[in-house]
Amino acid sequence: MNRKRVLFVVVSLLLVLSMALAACGNNATPTAAPQQEEATQAPEASQAPEATEAATEAATEAPAEPVTIEVYYPVAVDAPIAKILQGYIDAFEAENPNIKVKPVFSGGYGDVKTTIQTTIEGGGKPPALAVMLAADLYDLINADYIIPMDDFINAMPDGDAYINDFFPAFMANSKYDGKIWSIPFQRSVVTLYYNADLFEQEGLQPPDSWESLAQAAEKLTIPGERWGIEWPSGWPYWLFQPLAIGNGQNIVKSPTEVVFDDPKVIEAVQFYIDLSHKYHAMPEGVQKNWGNAPADFAKGAAAMIVHSSGSLNGILKQADFKVGVMAVPGKEPGTYATVTGGGNFYIMKGVSPEEQAAAWKFIEFVTQPQYAADFSINTGYVATRKSAYDTDAMKKYIEEVPQAGQLRDMLQYAGMELSCMNLGKVRNIFHKYLQAAYNGEMTPEEAMKQAQKEADEALSIFK
Amino acid sequence: MSLASKSLTPASRKGPSWLPYLLISPTLVIVLVFTAWPTVQAIYTSFFRQYLNIAKFRTPTFVGLENYKTLLTSPDFHEVLRNTAIYVVGTVPTSIVLAFLFALLVNRTVKGIGLARLAFFYPTILPMVSAATIWMFFFTPDYGLFNTALRALGYHGPQNWLGNPHLALLAVMIVAVWKNAGYLMIFYLAGLQNLPTDVFEAASIDGASWWTQLWKIAFPLLRRTTLFVSTIAIIDAFQVVDHIFVLTQGGPSQSSSVLLYYLWQVRFEDQNVGLASALTVVLIVIMLSITVTNFVLSEREGA
Repeated sequence: MNRKRVLFVVVSLLLVLSMALAACGNNATPTAAPQQEEATQAPEASQAPEATEAATEAATEAPAEPVTIEVYYPVAVDAPIAKILQGYIDAFEAENPNIKVKPVFSGGYGDVKTTIQTTIEGGGKPPALAVMLAADLYDLINADYIIPMDDFINAMPDGDAYINDFFPAFMANSKYDGKIWSIPFQRSVVTLYYNADLFEQEGLQPPDSWESLAQAAEKLTIPGERWGIEWPSGWPYWLFQPLAIGNGQNIVKSPTEVVFDDPKVIEAVQFYIDLSHKYHAMPEGVQKNWGNAPADFAKGAAAMIVHSSGSLNGILKQADFKVGVMAVPGKEPGTYATVTGGGNFYIMKGVSPEEQAAAWKFIEFVTQPQYAADFSINTGYVATRKSAYDTDAMKKYIEEVPQAGQLRDMLQYAGMELSCMNLGKVRNIFHKYLQAAYNGEMTPEEAMKQAQKEADEALSIFK
Repeated sequence: MSLASKSLTPASRKGPSWLPYLLISPTLVIVLVFTAWPTVQAIYTSFFRQYLNIAKFRTPTFVGLENYKTLLTSPDFHEVLRNTAIYVVGTVPTSIVLAFLFALLVNRTVKGIGLARLAFFYPTILPMVSAATIWMFFFTPDYGLFNTALRALGYHGPQNWLGNPHLALLAVMIVAVWKNAGYLMIFYLAGLQNLPTDVFEAASIDGASWWTQLWKIAFPLLRRTTLFVSTIAIIDAFQVVDHIFVLTQGGPSQSSSVLLYYLWQVRFEDQNVGLASALTVVLIVIMLSITVTNFVLSEREGA
């Protein structure tokens, strides 16, 4: 080959390399899409609740030097989160003139975590405060990205009362090693939505057991026209958990112990399959219908769906029938189960103590009952604190939308969301085999045994 | 491509000997910093064990070829390689053949041809994530457009394209072909329009049929275009996985997971830096060998 050719080959190789690496890099950068979605929302500005009693004392406590903190924040629901949060930040800054809060919207939950991770691993400075999945707790502790909040809580006039006011189900993913590492913020629960008008027409009661759920679903199915129930399983662990919990065995036991091969869990997998194969009341196999299910339900193509509580507002807007919400029935009559999900506040390591203190101040501010209530009303998330439901705004809202009150009542049946060491790996293992069982590639027993084996291996490093 | 060969004629060589180096230096610096250096780094870290989410393995430890051994013995990796092979072999030739046909179709001066060109090209303009979101609705069982269309054509097989382990990979391949064919068409179209007309006139006079002209004249003359198109199509097939994030997340049960998607999972879900680096090296080696083979083969033919 002559020189020109050599040059051409070298340039081509470099081109290929740069493309390959650009591809690797692409996935690390946050996508702008959620922000765009968010921006197209109706401009219903959430009015920040009136100034609070805390306002008067805040000015005296403000740190001497001005502090600026960043909050990394995902948008994961169909609500104008940016606008709502900015309203709270304005109110907070008015009360704390020495603290500036800069919200940074970073895409979805995964993007926030990835952005922070790449910042820290690249030697950069993380934000002081971030909203990340409650279930990410152990990964964040192991990576040494976050600090416990006990010092701040203990410094409060009545820290215990503050913590105890959060619903225990929402605090389940916050504690480790005797410490509190996160504060619940935007939280949801798995919800069974049912078409109450159809139930009434058919003389059915809301289901209170697996059997009555299956029978209702069977009765309400019209082949080719309406499914009795839709139960998405494209990303399946979360919506599956209520079945396992409802049979008396959650799939997670401790940070280093998951329970996939217990007969009760296997029975729960079988029940899901039975809804399709035995009762013919649900689409067969893995259902890739997370996005479609709420619309199917609202237009009458499904009599029941299992979905996030976060879809309530959207469903109520579209449905022209009475929408019932409840926890997923358990196996035994009169038992129910659900599981929590969503994001918590984390205070990051690697920023100054002043910034961490300012971050805590913002957490304290924005979790006040009236803000927790306002956030819930405007976003569809479940309010995180019991006292939020005693506010006038929330009482009035529940009068208009009684389902919002029923969501709160479901929390008593809530179990802990799958969260453990090496979460990404363990969750992928579980997904792989749960879907193999749903699709009939393996029996529930084979699948769960194999999942247990591989998960135990992935967790063995931590024992 | 034809332009490049013109500008490389010796007649245009003038100026001091260092000038060419100065002129390519901006590109060279960028390539060194953002391509060569990360490659070296990936090769280096692939010999270490480092998990970002496991406290005691956060600091990298030298483990030699351990990561490569893990890959070779991992059934998941084997399945991913198999999926990737099916994906590349299934999408690249299909896209290229379609692109060539589209280009022939629209390379005519008929009224309204602009609209046809636009129709073939418009999937390229859509961002992959938006396109995949649209396809997600097309693939919906029962009432989705794709299934409705198939039913009209007499198809009565399974409809759960994204949830069925035997269909999910095919579904993401369909979206990839749909997205790419129009883009590759542009290169063939440009190539066709640059072909010398006298050769075809001469062939016509000699009585060569349309098919012979296409196969014996146009296609060989477009050899460089085909080389270029197949190279970028193969690279694309390895690097574009955005639609997999939207459509299947590699599922069900990993059945639609390809190399780059798996790499993302290992790096950002499992947080296994060493293994992810080893995967990066594998990816680079595969792509380099394909490109070099492709280049060498076509150069030999053309020599």
